[in-house]
Amino acid sequence: MIETGIPKLDEYLHGIPEGKSLLFYIEPGVEESNIGIHVLHHNLERGLYGIYVVSESSPKNVERVFNEFQWDRKQYDKLIVVDGYSSLIGSPTEEKYVVEEPHDIRSYEDVLFEIIEGIEGKGVIVFDSLSNIMDLCGERDALEGIGRMNKEIEKKGFVSIYNFIAWPYKEAILYKIKRLFNAIIEIKIVEDTVSRQRIKIQKLDWDGEKDRIIDFKVFKPDGIRIYIPKICVIGPFQAGKTTFIKAISKKFTPVERLGATVGLEHGTVDYRGYRADVFGIPGQERFLPLMEKMGKSSMGFFLVVDSTKPEEFSLAKNMINKFENVPYVIVANKQDLPGALGEDEIKEKMGIGGNIPIIKTVAKEGKGVFEAFEKLVEKIEEYKYGEYVSKNRY
Amino acid sequence: MENMLAKTGIDRLDELLKGGIPLKSNVLVYAPPFIGKEIILKRFALSGLENGENVIFVLTDTSFFDMRNEMKRLDENYEKYEKEGKVRYIDVYSQSVELKEKDETVTFIDSPVNRERIASSVIQIQRERKSSHRIIFDSLSTLIVYSDAKAVFRFLQVLSGICKRMGSTSLFTMTRGMHEEIEVQTIKHLMDGVIELREEGARFQLRVQGCGEVISRHWIDYILEEDEIRLTGAFRMGRVA
Repeated sequence: MIETGIPKLDEYLHGIPEGKSLLFYIEPGVEESNIGIHVLHHNLERGLYGIYVVSESSPKNVERVFNEFQWDRKQYDKLIVVDGYSSLIGSPTEEKYVVEEPHDIRSYEDVLFEIIEGIEGKGVIVFDSLSNIMDLCGERDALEGIGRMNKEIEKKGFVSIYNFIAWPYKEAILYKIKRLFNAIIEIKIVEDTVSRQRIKIQKLDWDGEKDRIIDFKVFKPDGIRIYIPKICVIGPFQAGKTTFIKAISKKFTPVERLGATVGLEHGTVDYRGYRADVFGIPGQERFLPLMEKMGKSSMGFFLVVDSTKPEEFSLAKNMINKFENVPYVIVANKQDLPGALGEDEIKEKMGIGGNIPIIKTVAKEGKGVFEAFEKLVEKIEEYKYGEYVSKNRY
Repeated sequence: MENMLAKTGIDRLDELLKGGIPLKSNVLVYAPPFIGKEIILKRFALSGLENGENVIFVLTDTSFFDMRNEMKRLDENYEKYEKEGKVRYIDVYSQSVELKEKDETVTFIDSPVNRERIASSVIQIQRERKSSHRIIFDSLSTLIVYSDAKAVFRFLQVLSGICKRMGSTSLFTMTRGMHEEIEVQTIKHLMDGVIELREEGARFQLRVQGCGEVISRHWIDYILEEDEIRLTGAFRMGRVA
């Protein structure tokens, strides 16, 4: 199986079977359109072959992009760059494999067939821009050639990956494209609180989960992360919210720097392919309006409670009631202290239903905090998927 | 009415345009080399900056560095505008000639073939800064030379639509004499107007097509002075030229 290396996507795809072709169908104007290069890198990292066909920027740019993500091109001896650019611009090249006639799809085929015949092993072939090849070689000719190439690639057991910018081509061409590939993954811009990109699995002709969506952003140098722009941490005063945020965050901005009047804390979580911006809202009553405002626009929240202070639970429950339809988990903190209540007792005393997750933590020791994070992410994804399904039901 | 228009910064041209180019429109400046196209672009940029607007230069034939120096020479306030973050460059020229300048106002794109990155950079900048922009795109000709008019048409269809939605007013240039007539028509089709320049015998002339209401759509003489275009032809009834 080949992987994309994009968090969660591989899980939904159940990997990419050998011989398959996959197209990233990308809305023009997205912040990062070169998704293929991440798939290339991921497979090089796994020790597989990575053939990279460049047609829209110089092979030198490959190095530049690699550097942006702190990848070292020299480290990958199974990386083969096919230069479809230099002949176009008329510039010299140091690459071994060159497309002599970038206006003719046969020229791409010739080079690729030569390469895949000469190598033993598995891997991916990534095209930096199918749209550009179509523009250069003629749309129909290019797609026919790609069809032929995919057959050869399939025989060899490689996986082909294409970035395709969905410029306003004629419907007939888009239709051809949709038929040509085994999988189509649509990438669009999402803009609500923060701009990010959305993956949707449009077509899949092998066993996997279609129609799944993933919101992501490309971070430099970290790479592709599933991105949750706003998670709030609320809870009564002194429940341990700050400690909790510190414990899950890779980067943390203490409140003093933002000024005591706002009192908003910020942490960045980077955990197992996820990136989330987490905002801590102080527990004092004067911050209630802020909490209401922030909470309503957040993707989810943690309610942190001090498990030894049942007298504060009703206050905590009031906080929850302010946000309908926002997924949350309850963080039962300070479990190390004597008298800390368990899940069932907390549920009972708070008077909440059975399906609300309660995660026991000792935030100052980092115990249970990532379990809480995982649980919240799961809830957010469930909610998003449910929202999507209900929207598209009729 | 006045504030629905973007002044070009060239007095009599604004007069001809009844105040300027309609806001949120896309205008093609179509001209042979060296007869004043660059002046129109620079004046348009300065006029926007004076008016508190932001400017984005997309440059395929010259480096941001040269453009910056030229603009500084034209206006002593330009440095101040730059410091205020009003100016951004998308330089599609320098990297291909290996010029390395570190500068936060510049986005380098290594190839005119990489239309996707050009489009997304222009869009990103507008997204970051909410106020309205003037976009100077010089030139479409280079893009067409390295691929073809149809591909650039699709690119422009997306880009011009988004820029308009984001409230920006844009000038795109094409060099007269570099393209087949059909290519020019294809691109014109996407524009809200065209400002055309030509050399006719020993005279320079300018004509406006589209661009909302204008006083005259005839060819109008102009003379080229250092950094200035001066319309000398008559275009108003009852006015002595």
